[in-house]
Amino acid sequence: MKKFLALMLVFVLAASMLTGCSGGGSSSGGKDDGVIRVWVGEESAEFYQKVCDEYIEAHPDFGYKIEVKGMDTGSVAGTITNDPTAAADIYTVAHDNIGKLASTQCAKPITDEALVNQVVADNPASFQKVIYSTLDGNQYLYGVPYISQALFMYYNKALVSEEEAKTFEGLQAAAARENTKAITVTGDDGFNMCFALLATSVVDHGTSVKIYEGAESVSGGSKGVSNCQGDDTVAIVRWLQEYAADPNGFKWASPDGWEADLDKDNKGVLAVIGGAWHYNTAKAALGESNLGITMIPTFTLTEAACEGLTGVSAGDVYRGGTFADCKCFMINANSAASKYAKEQELIAYMASKEIQNRSYLECLNVPAYVGAASYIEQCYKDGKVTESQFNLAAMQVSMAEWGIPQPFITGTLNTYYYSKNGPAIFRAMIDKTAYPTTGDQILTETESLESIRKGLYLIEYIWMHGVTPDSFPASLPEKA
Amino acid sequence: MASKAITAPKNKAHELTFFEKLGNRFSNFRKRFEDGSLGTKLAHFIFGAGNFYHKQYVKGAIFLLLQIAILAVMIFCPSINDTPYGWKALANLPLKNLSEGGGFDPLTGHFTSGSDCKLMILFGFVTIALIIIYIMLWNMSIASSYKADMDKKIGKKPTSFKEDMAELLDGKFHVLMLTPTCIAATVFTILPTIFMIALAFTTYNSQDMNDLGTNLFRWNGLQNFAAVFTGEGSLGMEIKNRFLPVLGWTFIWAIFATLSCYFGGIILALLINKKGLNGKKVFRTVFIFTIAIPQFISLLAVRNLLGEYGPFNQFLKDLGWITESIGFLGLKTGDSESLAKVMVIIVNMWVGIPYTMLMTSGILMNIPADLYEAARVDGASTFKMFFKITLPYVIFITTPYLISSFIGNINSFNTIFLLTGGGPTYTGYQAGGTDLLVTWLYKVTIDQGSYNTGAVIGIFTFIITATITLITYRRSKAYNEEDTFQ
Repeated sequence: MKKFLALMLVFVLAASMLTGCSGGGSSSGGKDDGVIRVWVGEESAEFYQKVCDEYIEAHPDFGYKIEVKGMDTGSVAGTITNDPTAAADIYTVAHDNIGKLASTQCAKPITDEALVNQVVADNPASFQKVIYSTLDGNQYLYGVPYISQALFMYYNKALVSEEEAKTFEGLQAAAARENTKAITVTGDDGFNMCFALLATSVVDHGTSVKIYEGAESVSGGSKGVSNCQGDDTVAIVRWLQEYAADPNGFKWASPDGWEADLDKDNKGVLAVIGGAWHYNTAKAALGESNLGITMIPTFTLTEAACEGLTGVSAGDVYRGGTFADCKCFMINANSAASKYAKEQELIAYMASKEIQNRSYLECLNVPAYVGAASYIEQCYKDGKVTESQFNLAAMQVSMAEWGIPQPFITGTLNTYYYSKNGPAIFRAMIDKTAYPTTGDQILTETESLESIRKGLYLIEYIWMHGVTPDSFPASLPEKA
Repeated sequence: MASKAITAPKNKAHELTFFEKLGNRFSNFRKRFEDGSLGTKLAHFIFGAGNFYHKQYVKGAIFLLLQIAILAVMIFCPSINDTPYGWKALANLPLKNLSEGGGFDPLTGHFTSGSDCKLMILFGFVTIALIIIYIMLWNMSIASSYKADMDKKIGKKPTSFKEDMAELLDGKFHVLMLTPTCIAATVFTILPTIFMIALAFTTYNSQDMNDLGTNLFRWNGLQNFAAVFTGEGSLGMEIKNRFLPVLGWTFIWAIFATLSCYFGGIILALLINKKGLNGKKVFRTVFIFTIAIPQFISLLAVRNLLGEYGPFNQFLKDLGWITESIGFLGLKTGDSESLAKVMVIIVNMWVGIPYTMLMTSGILMNIPADLYEAARVDGASTFKMFFKITLPYVIFITTPYLISSFIGNINSFNTIFLLTGGGPTYTGYQAGGTDLLVTWLYKVTIDQGSYNTGAVIGIFTFIITATITLITYRRSKAYNEEDTFQ
């Protein structure tokens, strides 16, 4: 009898636990309880709840209550993929999560013609390349952009002049004067590495670097075309090796955090490349009066950097690069099908130019639509925003012209750009430290042209295959 | 006078093995079928039939309902998140004929999802558990009826449901009390453990799932285990090149961390308990403060203290002894691995010694005074008394603690993760210089998404800790000579 009871209870408990994990999530979607739930960034929750309430008031026949909740948009994609049935009907993610969310069937395509037309009319071509994904063999719009973001530079105005902040060389001179380091980044991952890898010529904004180019419109997980072996990339690596080796040049962020480096008392570094989400931390480290905001500086290739290369010349000027991204509204695949039309109607409203403008004024979210720069400037002229608030937006808009959207691939969980040791090898190249290459081989000599080409070949190979190759090609670069 | 142990007599009677016990349960099936009443014979096919035959209606109904419920699950295969239980779950276990899903109707927003291999494996195991439960219920139903037959034969009335329940509150009260624990252990420990072990035999990692499609993976036999030697797994050469160094450091760390805290605690306790020392309570309280403060706060404080801009580095710079900060904790690539290893062992003493000190203080106060008295009469020196009485006594009492402390240190996630984060890191590898198996496991799964390799590391960690525990504990005096220290 005792085993009988124990087993019965085990069965009941196991069954109830597993049922509890289920929620909705079947092919027919979740239940329609008369509420549309929306997740936006934590800083914007109050604002979007307010504008949604206004919308319901103006459209009494809308038929749904709207509940807005603030989430950390950096980690929300993981939260959604872990349990899509517990996620909101409409959520906000950075566009590079679209491929992942679409392929994990956490997102539903957007098919409303009016909304699709609005997205096409309002958004720059660069964003429009990265908001589609394929499903069932067809290409669909998945994300509706409404916030734009790019990297720029914070610097210590008390120690660096405006002119010095325009170039890496100027920062270096200021650092030599102050006996410190010139510039750092907020992390050594692939996202922050883009300041070097995506640096572009000031003459034509050109770079030979390609990351999954053409992959976004291809179904079945094709990774498109990548290139990390160009002469310009080799020269930039050499330049950065030189700059990082200089006692007043580049440094990786301290383990105590980049803010400890930037701190006005520690004076560990004069400038940091970061995003709008670092604003409050940077302000706390330097104080508002010392906080300068400007574009990522330019640098000039040296003789040593260009030696033996044909595609670049000493004196060529490049600007530090950035990923130019957008945050998008997406619809949860597990949301009830009966809400579908109203969800699209609501997104059309929340992503409209008018609401984007209001979002800038109230939450400092930089609008994503074409021509937002003139609105931002007008707001500053009209005294609606402070100088640093204006700079924060204006520099992102300016830097967006020098950047590309983060790449992603339809039908796959994510790309290998950020993982599988690609960024770690890049850092080792800059630090001139040893790193593993093929098989059990360790590359210890990291300064010669041949070893730099090997390193860049490895990085490109990892982007495409997720692993290091079995051997190097007979000659490098493998491609022109 | 030396301590002398008296070994307790061992019970040499033959104890039935698990398989013998299991075999005995089923060996009398034929006998029960032949000797049993009609009800018992029917119970071989319909659960509870024998109980109905003996007018034990409630018990019979419960058996029957459970049979119907389990059969219904097995036949109709209810599904959760489009993944079925029942016979379909068993059919899904080989992970064949997987669907990528993605059917979508743009007009209605209706949408079909694809196969989810995680749930397929989980539900497969739950179904196997259901089958085991079904077989056990079958046996119980027959046994229950047969017992009623036997009761009748000797003129006893078969027990009623009420009497069974009353027995549960009386003679079998321990069963009632242990049941929730067993259920919790099954659902929260055994099932997840089996699931985790199963993942070690699959391609479940983000890299392979990129190629196959999300939520889809396959069985791959022993390939993940072989990767430890060949490097041909989802982690590439990392598992081959870093497994042994990490394993070696895990042992070194566990030995040093355990012994340093253990003997440090004993020495501290001896000092504090020294006769004639004033303010014993004050000293004890001071050291207990390190226990009262949450460990992670202490560790983070030390991390900041020894950081690049921390007061310690600043102090050395102010003295003019150094110009560049020293990476005491190996937080940066290129920092000294040896220095970081020494530092974590030292810092760990700060948080670990007070525990041993506290425990040993209690033990020291309980050593019978007449042992020392007799030793003194025999002319033993203080030194001899320590090694012949105090130390053996303390070791005898604390051996289980020592073993659990060693195992705890093998799995000491907090200390390493909060102090060094596993650093200094090595380019190309997740495992840094001070990473233990457990912190490496965290990085491999959380950062890299190599769940299958993580499961392999987890299994190795389990084998190592279980082996050490069993060998050392079974060989210890505390186990072999329980209650016999003299």
